[in-house]
Amino acid sequence: MNNSTGWQVDQAILSEDDRVVVIRFGHDWDPTCMVMDETLYSVAEKTKNFAVYYLVDITQVPDFNKMYELYDPCTVMFFFRNKHIMVDLGTGNNNKIVWSIEDKQEMIDLVETVYRGARKGRGLVVSPKDYSTKYKY
Amino acid sequence: MFPVTKDFLGKPAPPNYVAGLGRGASGFTTRSDIGPAREAPPGAEGSGARDGPRNARSKRGDTEAGGAAAEMYQDPDNETGLFATLPYDREDAEADRVYAAIDAKMDERRKSRREAREREELEQLQAKRPRIQDQFSDVKRQLATMSAEDWESVPEVGDLVGKHRGKGRLRKLDNDPASMRFTPVPDAALLRSQQLGGVLTAVDPMADGLTSTLAPGAADGLTTPQDGTLSTAPSSDRVDLVEMGRVRKQMLGYQLDKFSDSASGSSTVDPRGYLTGLDSMVIQSESEIADIKRARTLLHAVTSTNPKHAPGWIAAARLEEVAGKLSQARATIARGCEECAQSEDVWLEAARLNPEARAKDVLAQAVTHLPQSVKIWLQAMKLESDPKLKKRLVRKALELIPNSIVLWKTAVSLEEDPTNARILLSRAVELVPLAVELWLALARLEDYDNARKVINRARKAVPTSHEIWLAAARLEEQQPGHEDMVGTVIDRAVHFFSEKGDIMSRDQWLKEAEQCEQNEFPLTCQAIVRATIGLDVDPEDQEATWLDDAEQCTSRGSIQTARAIYAHAIQVFPNHQDMWLQAAFLEKNHGTADSLDELLKRAVKYCPQEEVFWLMGAKEKWLAGDVDAAREILGLAFDANPDSEQIWLAAIKLEMENRFFDNARVLLTKAREQANTPKIWMKSVMLERITQRDDAALQLLQTATAQFADFAKLWMIQGQIYEKQHHTANARTSYRHGTTHCPTSVPLWILAARLEEQVANLPIRARALLERARLLNPKTPELWVEAIRLEVQQEQRQNGTSSTASSVGRGVSGAAASQLLLAKALQECPQSGLLWAEALALAPRAQRKSRSVDAMKKCQDDPILIMAIARLFWSERKLGKARVWFGRAAKLDPDLGDTWAWWYKLEQQHGSEDQQKHVVQACVAADPHHGERWQPVAKDINHFGCSVEQKLQLVTATLESP
Repeated sequence: MNNSTGWQVDQAILSEDDRVVVIRFGHDWDPTCMVMDETLYSVAEKTKNFAVYYLVDITQVPDFNKMYELYDPCTVMFFFRNKHIMVDLGTGNNNKIVWSIEDKQEMIDLVETVYRGARKGRGLVVSPKDYSTKYKY
Repeated sequence: MFPVTKDFLGKPAPPNYVAGLGRGASGFTTRSDIGPAREAPPGAEGSGARDGPRNARSKRGDTEAGGAAAEMYQDPDNETGLFATLPYDREDAEADRVYAAIDAKMDERRKSRREAREREELEQLQAKRPRIQDQFSDVKRQLATMSAEDWESVPEVGDLVGKHRGKGRLRKLDNDPASMRFTPVPDAALLRSQQLGGVLTAVDPMADGLTSTLAPGAADGLTTPQDGTLSTAPSSDRVDLVEMGRVRKQMLGYQLDKFSDSASGSSTVDPRGYLTGLDSMVIQSESEIADIKRARTLLHAVTSTNPKHAPGWIAAARLEEVAGKLSQARATIARGCEECAQSEDVWLEAARLNPEARAKDVLAQAVTHLPQSVKIWLQAMKLESDPKLKKRLVRKALELIPNSIVLWKTAVSLEEDPTNARILLSRAVELVPLAVELWLALARLEDYDNARKVINRARKAVPTSHEIWLAAARLEEQQPGHEDMVGTVIDRAVHFFSEKGDIMSRDQWLKEAEQCEQNEFPLTCQAIVRATIGLDVDPEDQEATWLDDAEQCTSRGSIQTARAIYAHAIQVFPNHQDMWLQAAFLEKNHGTADSLDELLKRAVKYCPQEEVFWLMGAKEKWLAGDVDAAREILGLAFDANPDSEQIWLAAIKLEMENRFFDNARVLLTKAREQANTPKIWMKSVMLERITQRDDAALQLLQTATAQFADFAKLWMIQGQIYEKQHHTANARTSYRHGTTHCPTSVPLWILAARLEEQVANLPIRARALLERARLLNPKTPELWVEAIRLEVQQEQRQNGTSSTASSVGRGVSGAAASQLLLAKALQECPQSGLLWAEALALAPRAQRKSRSVDAMKKCQDDPILIMAIARLFWSERKLGKARVWFGRAAKLDPDLGDTWAWWYKLEQQHGSEDQQKHVVQACVAADPHHGERWQPVAKDINHFGCSVEQKLQLVTATLESP
């Protein structure tokens, strides 16, 4: 689903009581976002019991650019009951995912981890996969 | 602030809505270089989609427009942005324009001067605090001349930060890392180097040509002033330090000596105080060098002020020994020996410090000074290795000290030849007549007659020793044919001692008796008990005291003593049945079958009215396989107690177990006449049931229930028989009668409810029955569990699930009635393990663990609960844990058959042959009778007469996997 104003984004985050709100900030025309969106679309149905996904165009809705430092082509953030859930991804930046994930199962695992952690009241969960560069190269 | 809407898509935002802030979100700053996320909230210059007036207004109050907080702290004299809230109209625009023109004009006016000034200031600043780039600009320029090879040869920077910093830097300094690594020096090495330093200093002054002979530590601080040492300090640093320390110590020594020889003539230093001070100063490790030094000074003061004080010398020598200077220690103790020649401790210490050969000389010297010291002689003997020399030494010592028992004993133990030893001992007892041990040793070496004589002489010499009397008794016991003398001797001894006044108390005698038992003199032991057990005990306390004594003896393992006590007690109180009972238990646990039999025979002679002894005797016989003997005993028992229900029951059981059903029937008919009790009626019915004669059983039951209407078991049996014959109505009637006559019988209620539910398929009636039962018997967990199970079954039937529905399904579907009931039940009986076990079974799988923790908190030691938890572990495939918990449950209540059955099932599925066998053996040993799953199988008339092992197999076969 697409959100076109900052208010709508806020409402999207506020309206969910027991699902993780996953928001992708970026542009639909961006190649990184395209890959990520493909993954998100395909997992959305499978994870609909515990997660809901939104896409936000950061040119159309620039309200969060400073607040969430949205300077990357594609950023994915997690919210649960109006709380920003941080994920220890091993990259040093726990706030968001700034790359695209191609593996669907990987994405499902990540969202499920966030959901489980958030349900327990955690503000920071540890990602099942370590995205630090040592595994990338 | 803003309400949450569910259908927000495509709707406009409320006016003046600030995204993010509207839901109270705050951003984060991870990289201050790419943008301030927190400093300026997104209202200030966030979006281009903001309405015009706000943007324009922000031009004037730009810095302050952000927040009220900034406005609160601004300078009151120079306020800005005061009118930022007002609407921005044309006049404002004009004013802005005018101000801008004025600013531009002013800027133009002093432009050149200002620019010159600014340039000057910049130069000044650069001169004062030059940038690194500027500083090295000339060098940087030279980089242009570097070739590619030069660049290649630039070394890597390396790891300058991080955890390996220290090592890394060291490695930079020195190319060999091994040589730069530091490890802590062990204390032993420090001490060694210190000693080495001491030797060095001792050598160095000699080499320098000094005249004073300085052994380090020994002669220091005596009278020789060392004026040379300071001036000719050796060159090495280490030696220098040692020197300095020594000089300091010397000065202290002088001072202490001065104190001790003050002008008044009397010593101002209290040597005793010094010694106690030294005692409190424990030298814990060899590294406490400073302490050793201080102690040395103190001890030196002690020995020099009071040289006749032997402990001072010993302490000084020991200190040197601890400090590792053995030769020093020897020298000190040698001086001590000179000064205190009369102290045997000093001599012994000297012998200890010296090597063996030298020690002998020292001891020889010691003997000349102290010929009477036994210790010195013994020490000298220890040093000799040749037995001949040893003997000679002992003889010499005995010549000088003829009345030392220790010496005599050593001398005797050195003799291998018994005749020589005997001669020695006879001489010894003449010289030391009071030594009991020597007498006893002599008696042991003699043959019987001589030994008696020796003991008689000993008795005269030492009349107060009970050991001699006991030895006499033992001697008699050892001699075949003189066993009856033992009692006489002990009696005389006790008589003798009681005449003398109580030298030996009762407890002491008993202890002696136990000692005799341990040394395998049972007769002596018994004689002692017989003679002394009645000593100073009030007649009214006797029974309790004796029982107490016997119990204590049994617990200490002194069976003979206990037996003797019981024998005596039984003699005194032949009619006290508990005494007999205790004695019988002792025999049963520790004695042989014959001894028990004999005791029981005597017991029934004295207390024929006591059924226990008869039953015990019969059971023993039966277990031994002698059915006729058992029957005979029971026959005698009938003669003694014709109307005893117990004996009747035992006799019937005997016949039934051995499958003499006709005999049993005859017996029962007789029993019904003679001892008309409900139990006997029940047995009669059981017999008919076992022999498949249900009609006869029903007839009997009719009579029985008319007679004993409030005996619940009769009603139960009747109902069961009807159930078996499918006479549901009759069964219901009998249960109804039963419940009206005995409303407190829980099993009866449960049976009635089951009939309604399972046979008649009327759960509503069952429910009502259980409700009434609960009303009449509050706080009965069994009834609650039955009700819960009823609900669960009903729900399952409704859901159409099979009986092995998954636990989650059970949990969810049972939420309605069964969970409600369970909660109520737990409220009423929170301590019931049965209920908790049921709760565990009903809980969804995920919650079982936490449930079990709760349950364990409420009732820790409930075997049913522990069994349930063990099964929980089993279902989680934690077999080892399950095994341990089954073990716990079985230990808590070995009578609970369910535990054994489940455990056996576990071992059958997962355990080895040995483990299975172990469970079976333990189960047979425990002989369980109870248990929810055990009883129906074990009591089934089809399984009548099965052994415990067979029953275990049968029960296990009925169990389902957890």
